[in-house]
Amino acid sequence: MKIKEKFNQLKKEKRTGLIIYVTAGCPDINFTEEFIVKLENAGIDFVEIGVPFSDPIADGPVIQQASQKALENKINLKSVFQLCQNLKSKIQIPYLLMTYYNPVYKYGLEKFAHDCSDSGVSGVIVPDLPFEESKPLTGELKKISIDLVSFISSTTSPERRKKILKHATGFVYYIAVHGVTGARDVLPESTYRDVASLRKESKVPVAVGFGISNKKQIERLKCCADAVIIGSYVMKEIMDGNTESLLETLKEFQQILKSSFDL
Amino acid sequence: MKKMPDRHGRFGIYGGKFAPETLMAPIQQLEHAYYTIGKSREFKKELNYYLNNYAGRPTPLYFAKDFSKLVGCKVYLKREDLAFTGAHKINNTLGQALLAKKMGKSRVIAETGAGQHGVATATTAALFKLECDVYMGEIDTQRQALNVYRMKLLGARVISVKSGSRTLKDAINEAMRDWISSFHNTHYVIGSVVGFHPFPVMVRDFQSVIGKETKKQILKIEKRLPDYLIACVGGGSNSIGLFYPFYHDTSVKFIGVEAAGKGLETEYHSATLCKGSPGILHGNFSYVLQDDDGQIHPTHSISAGLDYPGTGPEHSFYKDTGRAEYHAATDEQVLRAFHLLSETEGIIPALESAHALAYLIENKKRFKSDDIVVVCLSGRGDKDVNEVAKIEGAQL
Repeated sequence: MKIKEKFNQLKKEKRTGLIIYVTAGCPDINFTEEFIVKLENAGIDFVEIGVPFSDPIADGPVIQQASQKALENKINLKSVFQLCQNLKSKIQIPYLLMTYYNPVYKYGLEKFAHDCSDSGVSGVIVPDLPFEESKPLTGELKKISIDLVSFISSTTSPERRKKILKHATGFVYYIAVHGVTGARDVLPESTYRDVASLRKESKVPVAVGFGISNKKQIERLKCCADAVIIGSYVMKEIMDGNTESLLETLKEFQQILKSSFDL
Repeated sequence: MKKMPDRHGRFGIYGGKFAPETLMAPIQQLEHAYYTIGKSREFKKELNYYLNNYAGRPTPLYFAKDFSKLVGCKVYLKREDLAFTGAHKINNTLGQALLAKKMGKSRVIAETGAGQHGVATATTAALFKLECDVYMGEIDTQRQALNVYRMKLLGARVISVKSGSRTLKDAINEAMRDWISSFHNTHYVIGSVVGFHPFPVMVRDFQSVIGKETKKQILKIEKRLPDYLIACVGGGSNSIGLFYPFYHDTSVKFIGVEAAGKGLETEYHSATLCKGSPGILHGNFSYVLQDDDGQIHPTHSISAGLDYPGTGPEHSFYKDTGRAEYHAATDEQVLRAFHLLSETEGIIPALESAHALAYLIENKKRFKSDDIVVVCLSGRGDKDVNEVAKIEGAQL
């Protein structure tokens, strides 16, 4: 499913989407595949599949540790594309790839785009590829109608924000905290205001990520964001072996986001 | 002549700004500050004051008579080992700390491998009353314990990095992660010509004092330009600092020497330009040591300061255009050079700098007797004495 279709559906159902990040191959690749199927059954709207990189500078300790585990399991783009091939017939919800630029560059941009398309990937997230450097990759992805998700932070200047939004496709990823990925108890107060104003300015939906891990945050975000992204919290629970209770919690999050609101 | 780097921070195809969005604002703020404050006459005057009166510049260009006899050409040593804190690193940290102060920052952070850059940053932080945290790979804190203590004496906090390969690369990762959440009051003093634009050009400019002085000094002594400049290359700041002011003097050949570790045919080296391929690491497009999946390779070198799988984008450009040639020296050759200079000239070189000397020794047939060769003696070897003693089984 395309990202746009999913957001249209969410709009119709008047709810905020839930995007779950999973590092591929942590603790192993079979687990990842089964878990993603369970995520869809739990009502999750999008899956973000993390491809490990040796030097993830935008990630905190949890995702670093998960990536390390995946690298020990020899997970690379090739094995993740195989995973996506398997998912193609098993799930309906859109899945995106999240990785750093070097593995993509080394794989070859054209081949990467081709294999994304071939294995049903709907979007790509590359945290160390800012707007200025993204042309070569967007060029390839555009040819096959796959979205490269743009980031916006509260530090992004208004002029820069305008430039980024002009070219944004799929959705905009709003970075809620000044820092690396990882669960926080509270988000900065300014987040909620910023996201609301960004939604007005943006022609594509706005998803909020970094630091999100509890009901209180979600309760407040559902009023201003189109989707919420959870990653480190999920990987922490997986690595601690709490998969079943995690799925229950995610269902509760989903319930909160479901309760109707007017966007 | 095109401006190098261009306004996107590109040296040919290399360089750029591959940074997380949160860092784009502080990077642009730094770029603006560097091209306005950093280029102003007052700033340069103040920096020069500290370079001369605090760091002890200019450093001598010393004709190494006996070492010259040994290798069969005229060898001059650019004595960066005599700069305050014992290495060229102070040229850069004085510049960046002064700029940080002018930008209103109250804290600096740095990564360090051998500890020289950490010490230089801690020193200038003490001088300019800035809070200072230094990230250092756990393995490096062990092999450079003396420098860890020096940094603490200077009032800095040393944070031991336990992630990844626990060396310089991982220290940079941690420093970048710190900066993502601390840039409001913190400047990241990168120690080499790596990282996002404007770091590679800014560090080059601050280190260019090495080459500018060398040019003046050699013209005064020899009345002509040198035939060769030789310097070690990890990230590549002392080498670019020496090379860059001679960029347009095409008769002057540049030779960069990387760490061949246990041999280029093994996996245990840090010879990025000799054995790597283009990729993206720590914010720029440059040569990197990586596997087929684009994962960054662990590296090895006897010298912690060269133990890095990336290199400066300007070096990558010099390599592709043929302006510089890059070779590598093994740990074994480096140890020989370390002893040889100590015995012939009474100068104990840093293991990093000994790579440049090792190339000269191993390739002496290449040089004619009237060739003038300038070697950048980027640091002194006191910090390495313990490690060398351990390797050679000496009881201390």
